[in-house]
Amino acid sequence: MANQLLEVKGIDVFYGDAQALWDVSIHVEEGAIIALVGANGAGKSTLLKAISGLIHARKGEILLSGKSLSNLNPREIVDRGVIHVPEGRRLFSTLTVLENLKLGAYVPRARSMFAESLERVFSLFPALNTRIDQKAGSLSGGEQQMLAIGRGIMAQPKLLMLDEPSLGLSPILVKTMFELISALNEQKTTILLVEQNIRQALKIAHQAYVLKTGEIAMSGRGDELLANEEIRKAYIGERVSKR
Amino acid sequence: MGEFGIIAQVLVNGILFGTMYGIAAIGLSLIYGTMRIIFFAQGAIIVFFAYICYWFFALLGLDPYLSLILIIPISLLLGMGFYFGLFKEAAALEDKNISLLIAIGLMWLVENFMAVVWSGDPRTVVTAYTSWVLRPGGLNISFTRLMALLIALLSSVGVFVFLKRTLIGTAVRAASEDMESTTLMGINPNWVNAVTFAIGIGLAGTAGVGLATVYSFDPTYGFTFVIMSVIALAFGGMGNVFGALLGGIILGVLQGLGAYFVSPTWADAICFGAFLLVLMFRPQGLFGKKE
Repeated sequence: MANQLLEVKGIDVFYGDAQALWDVSIHVEEGAIIALVGANGAGKSTLLKAISGLIHARKGEILLSGKSLSNLNPREIVDRGVIHVPEGRRLFSTLTVLENLKLGAYVPRARSMFAESLERVFSLFPALNTRIDQKAGSLSGGEQQMLAIGRGIMAQPKLLMLDEPSLGLSPILVKTMFELISALNEQKTTILLVEQNIRQALKIAHQAYVLKTGEIAMSGRGDELLANEEIRKAYIGERVSKR
Repeated sequence: MGEFGIIAQVLVNGILFGTMYGIAAIGLSLIYGTMRIIFFAQGAIIVFFAYICYWFFALLGLDPYLSLILIIPISLLLGMGFYFGLFKEAAALEDKNISLLIAIGLMWLVENFMAVVWSGDPRTVVTAYTSWVLRPGGLNISFTRLMALLIALLSSVGVFVFLKRTLIGTAVRAASEDMESTTLMGINPNWVNAVTFAIGIGLAGTAGVGLATVYSFDPTYGFTFVIMSVIALAFGGMGNVFGALLGGIILGVLQGLGAYFVSPTWADAICFGAFLLVLMFRPQGLFGKKE
């Protein structure tokens, strides 16, 4: 068995008194693409927030390469190489593309590798190179998503968590986006992918978890789940049967 | 001096004094950006630094402008201290009213502290150059007012360069847009807030020196000052250094013109009226673009 990069062990997460996650466990193997799928409100984003330290799990444990992240703050978690690219991109729209990328490499560990990281971002997303002095808010939707992922790459991630990277993109761009995620993974970046586009996500994922109302309902290899009758009915519906 | 000359003089005075509102407004704008509160204590702290400048002058014979060398670092440190001592816990809360109440409490604390230490009597800093007047083209420009303008401009440029050219300055701008997203970059929100407070209070320090050299002041003066700065901020729009400065200048000119054409007692009422009109019809400020 390959090395476990991230292990989430039986976490419960609450928003105030409302429980959002129930005894959730996932394993992320080093070098893999792990997909996290499920309906709206199933708790996918909550799980990412718990891993990045924006919210704390009330029970359970989160380990990165065997070391606990549970009592660390977001800054320390970023410094350990767990990078969260949030849903809706959350770019700094009044800042330039370059400024956004600079902030991506804010932590000392990443700052020293700024030039290399920048080169990597521009080779993955050449479109950004021509727009470095443009305000992030003036970019197209696809470019903004590339910048959001690029900003994550600037942090030298060991684990890159992408929340809905295909949201709001045109079908052609969605395809490009999934190709880019695969390309990124081939460059040895481990990826935890949250997606509503379940079919595409399961296609590129080595392993996937299905979240349902805050619990892991199912897990397995991406292609296994893609072939699973229940998944197809509940999440993919007509689009697959026409294939 | 003819009618035209007098109006020109009113305008010049308005501009000179308006820059003081302007730097206070820049401080308010920065603190609002990351903390999401109007920092009501800003005026009292400006007056506090006017007293510090007065003390340096009266007790040590230190020139007011020279005292900036001490007042700037003191005020920057005090800003950090205020954040870590008073606001750090409240800043993490969803409910920003707690931070707002702390700011109001701090305002009262500083006001009363000043009343105890320096009494309620107005103070002035009178130096050899207090009465110097420059007369370009028939206008009277007092040397100290011109210096106050210069200090205000230099501090605005300083803040602007800091926000644009340094990584932590960039982080401050990013945090005023989206604090959670900056947190995901590994930027410590407390550090960003503390730096913002340091700059805000640092500006209060320089404004205090400007105030001390130009006007007589007493412990309660700060409240009027902060209200005027809030108006300047509304004119200039949030999150724009030069907008806030320009908002202050517009306010100073408006106040001067109101006092001249209507009456000094009406001048403030006119400013408040303009404040309400701007908030009603251009809530993004006079120069800001609509969201």
